[in-house]
Amino acid sequence: MKKKNLRFYIRIYFKILAQDLKSKMSYRADFIISTIGMILTNVSGFIGFWILFRNFPSINGWSYHEMLFLYGFSLVALTPVQCFFDNNWNLRGNVYSGDFIKYCFRPINLFFYYQSEVFDIKGLGQLAFGLGTLIYAWIKLGLAVTPLMLLKTLVFLLTASLIMIAMQNAAAAACFWIENSFYVLDLAMRFKEYAKYPVTIFSPVFRFIFTFIFPIAFIAYYPSLVILRPDEVPVLSWLSPVIGIVFFYVSYKIWMRGATRYSGTGS
Amino acid sequence: MNLKKYLTLTRAGMIEALQFRLSFVIIAVGNVLYLIVVYFLWKSIYASAGTDIVNGMTFSDTLIYLVLATALFNFMEMYTVWEIGRNIQSGKIVLDLLKPIEYRKYLFWSYSGSFVMQFFLTFLPTFLIVAAVTHGTIPLGINLLYFIVSVILAVSINYSIDYIVGTICLYTESIWGINIMKQVIVLLLSGATVPIAFFPEGLKQFVLHLPFQSIYNAPLTILLAKDPAPESVLRTLGTQLFWSLVMMIISKLFWKVSLRRITVNGG
Repeated sequence: MKKKNLRFYIRIYFKILAQDLKSKMSYRADFIISTIGMILTNVSGFIGFWILFRNFPSINGWSYHEMLFLYGFSLVALTPVQCFFDNNWNLRGNVYSGDFIKYCFRPINLFFYYQSEVFDIKGLGQLAFGLGTLIYAWIKLGLAVTPLMLLKTLVFLLTASLIMIAMQNAAAAACFWIENSFYVLDLAMRFKEYAKYPVTIFSPVFRFIFTFIFPIAFIAYYPSLVILRPDEVPVLSWLSPVIGIVFFYVSYKIWMRGATRYSGTGS
Repeated sequence: MNLKKYLTLTRAGMIEALQFRLSFVIIAVGNVLYLIVVYFLWKSIYASAGTDIVNGMTFSDTLIYLVLATALFNFMEMYTVWEIGRNIQSGKIVLDLLKPIEYRKYLFWSYSGSFVMQFFLTFLPTFLIVAAVTHGTIPLGINLLYFIVSVILAVSINYSIDYIVGTICLYTESIWGINIMKQVIVLLLSGATVPIAFFPEGLKQFVLHLPFQSIYNAPLTILLAKDPAPESVLRTLGTQLFWSLVMMIISKLFWKVSLRRITVNGG
């Protein structure tokens, strides 16, 4: 069999995507309500944030606008996981019911095929909201707009996304081994709530834990330091793109290992 | 009332919950992580504020408030909206409607078993840990009794709201969207994410006139009050009772009206 190249995969992704959008459009009410729900989630998160900062001008040396930058950064970084990898949420159901076996018989990459089946448009609302916050904070902080800065922002946003995607993949793959793994995935998703705080608020022990054991600090804190505080960038920030790629690769391996282990339910 | 048939459902629910022991461990890990994040976040907030008391709440008060709000949330979350929504989509609801027991009661009592388990396995340990960590900030006296009464009323209000939202699923086909909207609104307006004491004055007055604050804010305020005047406790409990009755009547009527237009595909 001929090795399939990137072009082939991109072409097929859009074909599958079109089918997904068509099927979504047949549940228009659900689509509209879910989109409103997603926007509400972001708005309410922001209101909570705003109420907090009304009472306190700064937290641990981080000004309101810097925190806002972190907040927007984490929202934008979380968009890819929401848009492209949302089918992970259905993995447990598919494995449990036996439907997952159908993916195993396709002559293309299993992981790719499974994830491409769902594109979550709701994530775009979050992207817009996050970008708005980020740009606002960027202007208020008086950060420079140079090609290098933008390139850095892009690279480190991608880094942060990769880490979140990796965590979600690994958590979703838990369903190949444990029953009722919903809570594992739910736990991983709760991490993203904590990503918007600077890791310096924690004591050294927990700073270590949230950096190396539950790598929440990599979702927004370390990558955004490169842009926010260019004078005091720790080594971990520069390393984060590599860590992101490694994490993603490991999570992909875990996921595939679980998938190839899968033997169906016999139905 | 024949209590026996309800208690049988409770027992079945307890046994079912025990099937998924691992999920309790994961929930506990999640709660501990949340506790750590909240602890350090508010510790640095209070450190930056420079005063011990902000908006009438000390650091310990805020910590207890937020952690117990989460514990209460886990304890009260019955996934009613999901259950009703899924049963409507699959058609299983027809079988439940035929049962010689009111659907509203059936659903509640089938969940009461996980209530009991959640209480002992997650709420109580969290409560004890928080009480120990904050050494004696929680006054141990008659307020515990008020607190229990208040929580029972909160459970009732929460269930009625869930049931109303679940009934909306009869019309919309959307579960995720409806549920996320409910969750976001309830959590923000009930003071579970940021204590209501921190809200700006206008918003606070508005929120205090809504039923949501009776779910988390009311029981926690009662629990944390050092020397509660009997009339203020009575006023809080009275407000809760009022909302509990109002929401119950609305949810019953809404269900009754909606049931006429139910369409079930197969089942």
